[in-house]
Amino acid sequence: MLSFIARRLATSLVQLLGLALVVFFAIRMLPADPVARLVGQNASPEAYASSKHALGLDRPVLVQLGDYLGVIPGAHGLLEGDLGRSWVSGDPVASDIGRTLPVTIELITISFVLAFFISVPLGMLCALRPGGIADRLTFSYSLFAGSQPEFWWGLLFIFVFFAVLGWAPPPLGRLDPMLSPPHAVTGFITVDSLLAGNMITLRDGVHHLMLPVLTKVFVLSGPIVKMVRQNMVRVLGSDYVLYAQASGLSPSRIATIALKNALVPALTLLGVLYGYILGGAVLIETVFSLGGIGQYAVRSVLAFDYPAIQAVVLVIAAISLFVYLALDVVHALLDPRLHA
Amino acid sequence: MPSEAAPILPPPILPPPILSVRDLSVGFRGVPAVRDVSFDIAPGEIVGLTGDSGSGKSTLGLALLGLVRQPGRILGGSVMIEGVDLLRLPEAARRARRGSQIGLIVQNPRGSLSPLHTVGGQIRSVLRAHLKLSSVQAAARAVGLLRQLGLNDPERRAGSYPHEISGGMAQRVLIAMATGAGPRLLVADEPTSGLDVTIQAQFLDELARTSRAAGSAVLLMTQDLGIIANYCDRVLVMQDGRIVASDRTAAFFADPKDSYSRTLLSLAYAPPPVPPVAPAELLAVRGLSKHFRLRGSGKTLQAVDRVDLTIGRGETLGLVGESGSGKTTVGRCVLRLLDADAGEVVFEGKDLLRAMPRDLRVMRRRIQIVFQDPLDALDPRWTVSRILGEALLRPDPRRIAELLTLVGLDPAVARLRPRGLSAGAQQRVGIARAIAAEPALIVLDEPTSALTPMARVGIVALLRELQARLGMSYLFISHDLNTVEQLSHRVAVMYLGQIVELGTREQVFNAPRHPYAKALLAAHLAPDPSHRRVDGVQAAVLAGEIPSPIDLPPGCYLAGRCPVAIESCHTTQQPLYAFADGGQVRCTPAAVRAGVIQRQADPPGRVLSNTVAA
Amino acid sequence: MSDSAQIETALLDLDLQAHTARPVTDLLFRLGGAIVLASLVLMLVGPWITPFDVGRPSDDIMVPPPDLADLPHLLGQVFTGAPHDPIHWFGTDGAGLDVFSRVLAAPRADVAIAVGANLFSLITGSLIGLLAGTARTWLGALVMRISDLVQSFPVFITGMILVTLAGRSNATIVVTLALLYTPIYVRLTRSEVLTQRNRGFIDAARVLGKSEAFIALRHVLPNALAPAMIQASVTIGFAILMTAGLSFVGAGVRPPTPEWGLMIAAGADGIVQGEWWPSVFPGIAISITVFGYAAFGNGLERRHAK
Repeated sequence: MLSFIARRLATSLVQLLGLALVVFFAIRMLPADPVARLVGQNASPEAYASSKHALGLDRPVLVQLGDYLGVIPGAHGLLEGDLGRSWVSGDPVASDIGRTLPVTIELITISFVLAFFISVPLGMLCALRPGGIADRLTFSYSLFAGSQPEFWWGLLFIFVFFAVLGWAPPPLGRLDPMLSPPHAVTGFITVDSLLAGNMITLRDGVHHLMLPVLTKVFVLSGPIVKMVRQNMVRVLGSDYVLYAQASGLSPSRIATIALKNALVPALTLLGVLYGYILGGAVLIETVFSLGGIGQYAVRSVLAFDYPAIQAVVLVIAAISLFVYLALDVVHALLDPRLHA
Repeated sequence: MPSEAAPILPPPILPPPILSVRDLSVGFRGVPAVRDVSFDIAPGEIVGLTGDSGSGKSTLGLALLGLVRQPGRILGGSVMIEGVDLLRLPEAARRARRGSQIGLIVQNPRGSLSPLHTVGGQIRSVLRAHLKLSSVQAAARAVGLLRQLGLNDPERRAGSYPHEISGGMAQRVLIAMATGAGPRLLVADEPTSGLDVTIQAQFLDELARTSRAAGSAVLLMTQDLGIIANYCDRVLVMQDGRIVASDRTAAFFADPKDSYSRTLLSLAYAPPPVPPVAPAELLAVRGLSKHFRLRGSGKTLQAVDRVDLTIGRGETLGLVGESGSGKTTVGRCVLRLLDADAGEVVFEGKDLLRAMPRDLRVMRRRIQIVFQDPLDALDPRWTVSRILGEALLRPDPRRIAELLTLVGLDPAVARLRPRGLSAGAQQRVGIARAIAAEPALIVLDEPTSALTPMARVGIVALLRELQARLGMSYLFISHDLNTVEQLSHRVAVMYLGQIVELGTREQVFNAPRHPYAKALLAAHLAPDPSHRRVDGVQAAVLAGEIPSPIDLPPGCYLAGRCPVAIESCHTTQQPLYAFADGGQVRCTPAAVRAGVIQRQADPPGRVLSNTVAA
Repeated sequence: MSDSAQIETALLDLDLQAHTARPVTDLLFRLGGAIVLASLVLMLVGPWITPFDVGRPSDDIMVPPPDLADLPHLLGQVFTGAPHDPIHWFGTDGAGLDVFSRVLAAPRADVAIAVGANLFSLITGSLIGLLAGTARTWLGALVMRISDLVQSFPVFITGMILVTLAGRSNATIVVTLALLYTPIYVRLTRSEVLTQRNRGFIDAARVLGKSEAFIALRHVLPNALAPAMIQASVTIGFAILMTAGLSFVGAGVRPPTPEWGLMIAAGADGIVQGEWWPSVFPGIAISITVFGYAAFGNGLERRHAK
């Protein structure tokens, strides 16, 4: 097991390095000109040149790469964990990300967990009566939900629950502008509020998360229900469940066996799903102005902010790979067929 | 002295039946699967239930436990087990009886075990569901059951997972689960399908022995009439959900009343094929060897080890063996679908293994193949007509229609795709494709193993007819000794990559000489109740299971299991000895016994000429 | 498993599937097919059949759609051919453009991009997958490593980066999406090819003396393509979502091209004030269209499995 983890970590690191290199070269090969973006269309050649020098783009590409990686003596780069400075804010990208990433993670994780707890029982219930009314309705729902534009649904929910019903707060961020956020320990509003004992921000934070989470859960539940139902139908119709019944095992014991067999193969897929929505949080964050890494990515891309772009891709890919690894380890622990 | 009046004895009191089924009916949304079935089983009886696929046997078996697969429903009737009607009991009571009063063994043993739980754990669950045992006690009991069933190292086995054990071991686990709580009635649904012949015999022997000793009853459901002939006291035949015949075994086989059984037994009672007289040599395989290197461990698997065989024109050579014997690999090497490591395959005078690609392509048409899985052998997107056209030099609709008629299919089938045909029909198309190229030799790789017994009968009859009409030779590879007996003129027995015995059909089937061949033939269950295995003493039993073909011992591969092994068997490779009657046997003790040699012979791998005993 | 049990179980399985699948999927499959067809038709002729000119702003700003109560009357007018004022069925947006017309014209961008990208990645991905599955082991492994690397990029963000930095034209969007989706087809085709290579009919063709090239082209490829085509239907739907999403955040299609995502973005601010129609109608269009592709693909999958 340990060697498995070690090997995967090594592969992931190599992959991340490859990713970093590809992104580095790709964005420099594309026609967009960050200098022009910064100084404007009507800048003088001197202003252009000085700006280009300030951004370090007048150096040979390999030198830039060396600087980025931190292999040039005296430079602080990737190998030391330095992600560079944003060309827009001037702040270290690492602190920008440190500020924005938790927002996204909080949103994604809460949504994922909720979607999981709603979809799994639903999928299981449908599997008990395949072909029944509940099953057919749920199947259509899951097909529908999984193909929806979530940003539009976000807007729709805002319209219904805020503009019409007034239940939700205006989509202006994570907290009411009047409140000051709790002391940032983890960056998660919910956790930090609890740690600080601040019930007001906790309640307000949750209130603001309601609609984004609702939207994400709606869209996520589609594929999860479908997968759970499919697995569960297969398991319930399997020979070993039939044999367990023929052996006279109690229904609760059979249910445990069935559940384990249905959910364990789904683990890897859940990991892939998590990684996918991590990158796709952009849209929801934009709609609800949450200020997460997705929105940061949009801002960086539109501003041609190379260091920030490179860092965002790297960080998100790293998290996804880590999540895959964690889930694969859990999967291997639970499924003896993967031990070979 | 006047004789005393013979005392009038009261009529013998028959013990009440353990199982009494009356008018049982099961249906699936309006489609009846079991119709008004009634029968009894007495304690100590082994009753066989047979019938074609779709006749409702498995559904009946499940219904006896009060279970039915979704979306079916038990429509009516009663199932009295020891006087209590299971179907009238509430579900909780039924559950209590499943496993403790009536046990079930199914086919697909590994599929019937949860892949995520240990084997021992699963046995434990069943024991604890019915007996008042603590977890520790149940674990010990489970290990004990496994030991009783012949598993060596049962503690370690109990901790393994289903994918780590063989099919035979898995089936034993199922027996442990089904009998662990001591049920009086055992329902066994095709319990040995997929098991090797010798393992099957071991399993059925144990089953018969345990049930006889406990006085419990067994309902043995199988399509294999050989099993029924050898182990069952009575026979029931099901057709379309009804019981159409019920008889004592001997009477049944002497004169089967229903059409299904008559057809099945027709071939068994038909005269065996007549070998061609002094046929010209068509194929000569010499020293064929093939090994595989395993990825990961780097070990070598010797699949085929210096095999020699010959086939004459118009002759059928049956190649038999169990799993790991290498018989399929031999077939593939002969066809050059696999590249052999050594040896030569001389076909019509030319060595196939050294032929140039252009010559090979021409030569190839003269040897064709019929596969085990009929559907897999046909391109699912092509029509039958296109499939057969591929085999012809020029697609000719008339010839295609001719071929279809030859194999007993309606020429209109040409328009269909493989999925629209039954398995038997698909196999006939495969055969039609094989003969379309007008081959001199056809390699048949387990052509009937994936078919129902009914379809099997039809294919074997077809193959015999085609050989009589077209005069081609067959290399018939199979583990099913019944069909081999019905088709072959000569037979070769393989074990772990080597040929261990070679001879005419009569020689090998009636008087095998190699210990493995003896055990194999003894385990072979012929549909003939006159020499029942269950009643006789089992001589020639081999201990244990077939070893893995990866780490083979230096001497005879069978030595570890052989009842007649001597010292030198464990250390020296056995050569293939030629016997006076033309047979060949790879066994020194057997050769010594037959007087072929007096002492140890040397270089292994060569066929030695006879040395007459002084 | 013995054949009888296998056949019995298989029959039961089919029965089960039929009961679970048939009533819903047949309906869904046909509905999906109709939607796919409609989207393709609109892609081709949409801009030509719009009642209003989508490029010319007017002064009728933020006109709401007709009241539900008026609808029967208006529909009657249209069908009887009676002369009437031009109707803004979906209202007008902030620039005075007719929303209904723009919704009809948008598939020319959304669907065309999605279909174009998938066509490209299907062909490229399948050929690469065929190569990876039939070539020497080291080459196949190398191809898969590269494909995995491409797949490990976060899809949406990478899409944003590539499209924006390459200049936001429809062509760059097509190329970017094609690039991001190719690994899916590579993986799928390669896995199919590896399975097909061991099938009996492949060996049968070899034994009949057919060349490897013949076998690859006539047997392997046609059988390996089927799952890819099914996947294409679903992926086209995802591509539409992605195009709309990219345009929504400003990293996709350039205005003033009619495009559903752009329309939603433009109308987003109005939502809070209750001006719902510029955003809602394009959203409904996306919602229905992508669902149609998903349902169609799902139906194809079930048919293929049978």
